[in-house]
Amino acid sequence: MRPGEIVLDRASRAFDIRGDRGRTLKELLLGKRRAGGPPPVQALRDVTLTIAPGETVGIVGRNGAGKSSTLRALAGIVPLDSGRADCGGRIVTLLELGAGFGRDFDGRENILLNGALHGMTRAEIEERMDAIVAFSELGEFIDVPVKTYSSGMFVRLGFAIAAHIPADVMLIDEVLAVGDEAFQRKCEVRIAERVGEGATLVLVSHDAALVERTCERVVVLDGGAAVFDGPAADGMAHYHEMMGTVTA
Amino acid sequence: MREALRYRFLFEQMVRRELRRKYQGSALGVAWYVVNPLVLMGAYYLMFGVVFKVAQHEDYPLFLMVGLVVWIFFSQALLSAAPALLDQGSLIRKARFPRETIPAAVVTVQAVTFVTVLAVVAVVTFALRGVGLSVVLLPVLLVALFAFVLGLSLLASVLHAYFRDVAPILAAVLLPWFFLSPIFFTPDDITHRAAARAVLEWVNPIAPFITSVRDVIWGGVWPSGAAVLYVIAAGALALVGGATLFRRMQAELAVVV
Repeated sequence: MRPGEIVLDRASRAFDIRGDRGRTLKELLLGKRRAGGPPPVQALRDVTLTIAPGETVGIVGRNGAGKSSTLRALAGIVPLDSGRADCGGRIVTLLELGAGFGRDFDGRENILLNGALHGMTRAEIEERMDAIVAFSELGEFIDVPVKTYSSGMFVRLGFAIAAHIPADVMLIDEVLAVGDEAFQRKCEVRIAERVGEGATLVLVSHDAALVERTCERVVVLDGGAAVFDGPAADGMAHYHEMMGTVTA
Repeated sequence: MREALRYRFLFEQMVRRELRRKYQGSALGVAWYVVNPLVLMGAYYLMFGVVFKVAQHEDYPLFLMVGLVVWIFFSQALLSAAPALLDQGSLIRKARFPRETIPAAVVTVQAVTFVTVLAVVAVVTFALRGVGLSVVLLPVLLVALFAFVLGLSLLASVLHAYFRDVAPILAAVLLPWFFLSPIFFTPDDITHRAAARAVLEWVNPIAPFITSVRDVIWGGVWPSGAAVLYVIAAGALALVGGATLFRRMQAELAVVV
């Protein structure tokens, strides 16, 4: 794998969606699962996708189409039932607001914790600390526990960290929308810079305009399968048609 | 292995997080980690040293303390490691990192407490009863104990993530286990039948740890060679077994927690 290259090869994954997913010892001993409840959901159905280093790809589709599952499979968080998912080089993920934030820690401590989660050393993070704090524009809030943050502040901190971690692949899931417009623009500029340096971007979003601005290629997912893969303009047209939201 | 080195800083952060998480905002803060075992030890001393005198040993409070400290480390580490992966579910679902760091951090925090309390007990014991040469063995015994507890904790945490009965079962089992362990007695005190004694001494895997640590600190004598070999083997076996099973079972963690 070259750094920045992404391959999904006939990737499939189903999820058990019963509320109580943990198994009890009784089931284990009896060797069977409780009957009843909804059947498993096929989040990824035989998806094949090759992304070259430096490409910008938007993944769109209705709720439950498998977008987030695709990202989580690419990030190596969730294993596949069959097929292969591979990302070359260093991966930075921004999958959920405040994921991995310790609520009682202040902004700076969370920068350390988050950097550590991405496999960085203390020295590597300290080096970038000032840049991250400045980018987040949190001001004095950087020194108070993050449980006092608004969701916009969370996204500022989260994105500021992700934006400063060296990465060959950026996986971003629908979080930018929470920031205000000025900050969103700033993030887009930053993403474009990283892409200019050769990073690959995979972005999941419902924001059609954002996808069209940041991505040159679009993959439309429906029911866990890739139903379109091509240039962004055509992809978004396909998406709007599928959703019945054609405006023109 | 290279990955483990790369994530050394993450481990450090996890330990801090664990320290802060539990007692954040309480007046005593981190001191609770030491206060809790001390209170437990006081209670057990009252019970077995004053009310029911099961056994006669010199400096019985110290005899009792050494065993208790080992037991409390063992049981508290297991009990807090078991739910650890579920507690950190939001991390596991959204980030990729070696999941071993979560239970390992929990056990490490317990180990630091343990060593602190043990040091206090040891210093008092040495001052009152003198130090034997066998104390040089203590680091070996403690490393073996850490490996043993870490291995079992890895196992308990990953099993509990899949089968939620593990933590309650553990809590239920640890109580009778405590009374069957040679903490407030030696097997000689309660039975003269060789078979029963052998069971108390060797079938219970924590017993050789308690006995050998107590031999070194309280007795000032060398533990039996068999006990030393036993604890080293048990430590290695638990760690290798626990780490292997953890690795095998961790794939689906992001889905089940």
